[in-house]
Order: sequence, then structure tokens, then C-alpha cells
Amino acid sequence: MTFKEPTKQKVDVGDGAAIPTKSDRGLFTAWRFAFVGAIGALAYLAWSKPDPYLEIIRFVPDGIAVTFKVTVGAILLALVFGLITGLGRISSNRFFNGLASLYVEVIRGIPLLVQIFYIYYALGRFVKIPDLFSAIIAMAVCYGAYMGEVFRAGIQSIPKGQMEAALSLGMTREQAMGHVILPQAFKVVLPPVGNEFIALLKDSSLVSILAVADLLRRGREYASESFTYFETYTVIALIYLIITLFFSKLIGIMEERINEER
Amino acid sequence: MKSAERRVMVQARDVVKFYGRFKALDQVSLTIHEGEKIVIIGPSGSGKSTLLRSINRLEEIDGGSMVVNGMDLYSPKTDLTRVREEVGMVFQAFNLFPHKTVLENITLAQTVVRRRSREEAREKALGLLSKVGLSDKANAYPGRLSGGQQQRVAIARSLAMDPKIMLFDEPTSALDPEMIGEVLDVMKELAREGMTMAVVTHEMGFAREVADRVVFMDHGAVVEEEVPEQFFTSPKHPRARQFLSQIL
Ligand SMILES: Nc1ncnc2c1ncn2[C@@H]1O[C@H](COP(=O)(O)OP(=O)(O)O)[C@@H](O)[C@H]1O
Ligand SMILES: [Mg+2]
Repeated sequence: MTFKEPTKQKVDVGDGAAIPTKSDRGLFTAWRFAFVGAIGALAYLAWSKPDPYLEIIRFVPDGIAVTFKVTVGAILLALVFGLITGLGRISSNRFFNGLASLYVEVIRGIPLLVQIFYIYYALGRFVKIPDLFSAIIAMAVCYGAYMGEVFRAGIQSIPKGQMEAALSLGMTREQAMGHVILPQAFKVVLPPVGNEFIALLKDSSLVSILAVADLLRRGREYASESFTYFETYTVIALIYLIITLFFSKLIGIMEERINEER
Repeated sequence: MKSAERRVMVQARDVVKFYGRFKALDQVSLTIHEGEKIVIIGPSGSGKSTLLRSINRLEEIDGGSMVVNGMDLYSPKTDLTRVREEVGMVFQAFNLFPHKTVLENITLAQTVVRRRSREEAREKALGLLSKVGLSDKANAYPGRLSGGQQQRVAIARSLAMDPKIMLFDEPTSALDPEMIGEVLDVMKELAREGMTMAVVTHEMGFAREVADRVVFMDHGAVVEEEVPEQFFTSPKHPRARQFLSQIL
């Protein structure tokens, strides 16, 4: 047997082979600290002072369900509005383009809370639909405008040559959009859409001013009956924090998965 | 002349193109017959790409007329997609679809535009991949391929539509020198098979070997059109002489 000299590990600079893939270790610990800390704090409060903390925790879950319904409903609808608006913003059709731009400008210029009031009561004037739906539509109309800009930027980030290649193969603009541009744009917009989702989750607390019993509203109801304002809002804040942290992590993992594909 | 009796594939008449106030094409007329191979050369900015791209109306012209495969590109009756599916185009930057595998790149337009079945499209794609020497890359994503391989896939993707004419806009200009040959070889093979081709290139060896005619452009105009022999040995136009002396 011959002695084999240990081959030196070659360090390849440039393609990241020797660089640890996780560069956000610090962030990860910050996330873990906040997430575990929030859950721990909630558990500790419930255990050390069941009255009122455990009572509050028992009272609000209905509100969490409503918050989710509003958030998920609004984000799905906002994605549809956003896609249409984004396509409108890059359309050569004057009317469609103008309409989309007007929508974005108007929505951007009015505070979210005012919009929610306005759309909610405007809807209520003309159609009889459940409050929850009105709230979802109101949120979606607001977020659809921002989502429209996300989609527009995403579509415009795809190199011009992609559309040209698709067209030169005989595809129509619509086919090229559907098969070539949008699939690539969706990947680009995933991180900003994730951010919009988190923002919407938090902003959904605004619907508590309407007759919608979301997490914040349930908290207000409990607090005004028991006069435990500080304790209740402590719990509410911790629950929002846990939910938001959970979803931002989930979205982060999803993005990583998608980037690892192919 | 033999070409006189052949079908006309491209008929450009007095084509004018402006970018703002800049005249990129100045009264360009060009005829390409079926089976003919023309090579377009000229200094950078002389309008070569603009001319090529106006043949499938990726650029709109502002004057003159363009008739391709018997269809007037600017007649309201013309379905532009029908013209484009007969006109293959290969770009300097390859422009493969990065989210699709090599095979999917080649089958997409076949199924969407030509309405071929998946099976038929797949078979066609695999045949073309073997022709360009990339059978083993069918399931790879373009990002994993070298430039030369990507360009060969791009050529296969265009050929899958059974085009009547192929346009090449500096197909080897973005390639490392060692990969130029493999792409030119595919193009030469195509030429041998009788494909009608219009090629913008700086590869003078290719022009000499393959071209039936060399079209020399300068400042948006065609200033000389000649068989390669003649053009390369005794160019008539002073700008052509100057250009050749710079690059040869
Ligand atoms: N989209 C455009 N907008 C403005 N000017 C352009 C555009 N495309 C090309 N040009 C100009 O038109 C001229 C011809 O361009 P091009 O056809 O690309 O030349 P070539 O391919 O011969 O290098 C150049 O001067 C270029 O700057
Ligand atoms: Mg060019």
C-alpha cells in the first residue's frame, strides 16, 4: 500500500462552492429568538396568571379564524386584481392601460383606513353581502393596486428577448405571456408577494373597525367588558407576532425551495 | 440567372425605418429567393439587425413594403403569427426559455402554435436535438448548457416549426471562440440541405463558404450586393473596401 498524500482542499472562489450557503445565520437566530420568545411569553403569562391571560387566550381564537379568512380571501382576490392591473399597466391598449394606471394612482393616494371605510360603506349601499365579504373586497381592492405594481415590475424584469423569441416562433402575445413571460415573472414576484401577504395579514387588523370580528376586534370586545386593556393587547400583540413570524418563515422556505428547483 | 425562376421568399422594397428622428433603414430593397443564402455584413450600427428584424416584423417599418412568403406584412388581411411561424429567427443572445427544459423549449411552439400532439412534438424535438448533436441534453435546463450548446438548441427550436426561411442575427457573436465552430457547422449543414437563410455575421469564412450573395450595409442602406468571390476580392464600394480592410 502506498502512502497517499492528503489532497489539499481546493478553495474555489467565485462560484460559492466553498462558501456556506446560509449567509443569514444571524437573522435565523433573531427569528428563532422572537418566535420562541413570543410563544414562551404567552405560555408563561397563561400559566402564571390564568386570570385574565388564559381567559383572553380562550376568548380570541374565533378572531384568529376571521383574521385568516380576511387575509387569505383578500390576498387571493388581490392577486387577481394585481395580475389584471399589472397586465393593464404594460398593455398598449390605451383604455386598459389608462384604467389600470388610474386605479393604481387613486388607491395609492388614499389612506388604507379611509379606503376600507369607503369601500365597505359604498358596497353596503348597493349590494347586500355579508360584512366579512365586504371587508375582504375592501382589502383586496387596496392591495390589488400594490400587487399590480409588483406584477408590472415582475413582468418588466423579464428580458425583452424572451417575448421576441416567443413571437418569432409564431406565438401570439397572449400565448407568449402565458407560456413564457408570466411563468418566469411569477418566480420573480414571489418574494414581494410574500411581503405583501405579511403586510396584508397585519393590515387586516384594520377591518376591526368594521363589524367584522377579527382578532383585534375580539380583543377589543374582551377588553371593554373586563377593563383589562393592557393584558388583552399584550396577548393580541403576541399572537400577531407569532402568526407573522410563522408565515414569514414559511414564505422564506418556499422561496428557497423554488430557487433550488432546476 | 437560376434564381430568377425560383420563388421569392422575401421582398423588401424601399424600406425606411426611423428611431425617433434617426433613420436606421434608408430605402432598403432586398430580394431573397427560396433556397438562397445571403450574408449581411457591415459596420456596427449600419442597420443589419433592424433589417433582419423587420423581416418578421419584430420592428415596424415606417415606409416601403415587406412581403414574406407571399404575404404582405402590412396588409390588414395578413395574420402576422402565420408569417412568423414560417420564419425562424436565431438571436445573438439565444433567448432560450430558462424555465423550460431543452426539450420543452423545442416542443412549446410546436404544440401551442402548430397544434401538434405532445408525442409528435417530442419526436420532432428529439430528432432535431440529435441533428444538432445534443440528444443527451433533452432534459437539461438551458442554464446548464454552454453558449454554443444553447445556440444549437435555439436553432433546433426554430427548425421545429419547419420554417421556410431562417434569420440569424450574429448567432456566434456572444460565444467564446472555441464554440463558434460547432454553431457554424450546424448552420452550414442547414445550408447544404437547401434552407433559405439570411445571416448577419462577422464570420467572413462562413460568408465565403456559404453565401450566394453578400449584402453590405452602411448607414442604413444596402450599398453593395455581390457574390462572395467578387465581393471579397474586389469590392466596388469604397466603404466596403474600407470595412474589409479593417476586419480581414
Ligand atoms: N430600439 C432602438 N431605439 C433607438 N435606436 C435604435 C434602436 N435599435 C437600434 N437603434 C439604432 O439604429 C441603428 C441601427 O441599429 P442596428 O440595426 O441594431 O445595427 P447593426 O445590427 O447593424 O449593428 C443604430 O445606430 C442603433 O443605435
Ligand atoms: Mg446588430
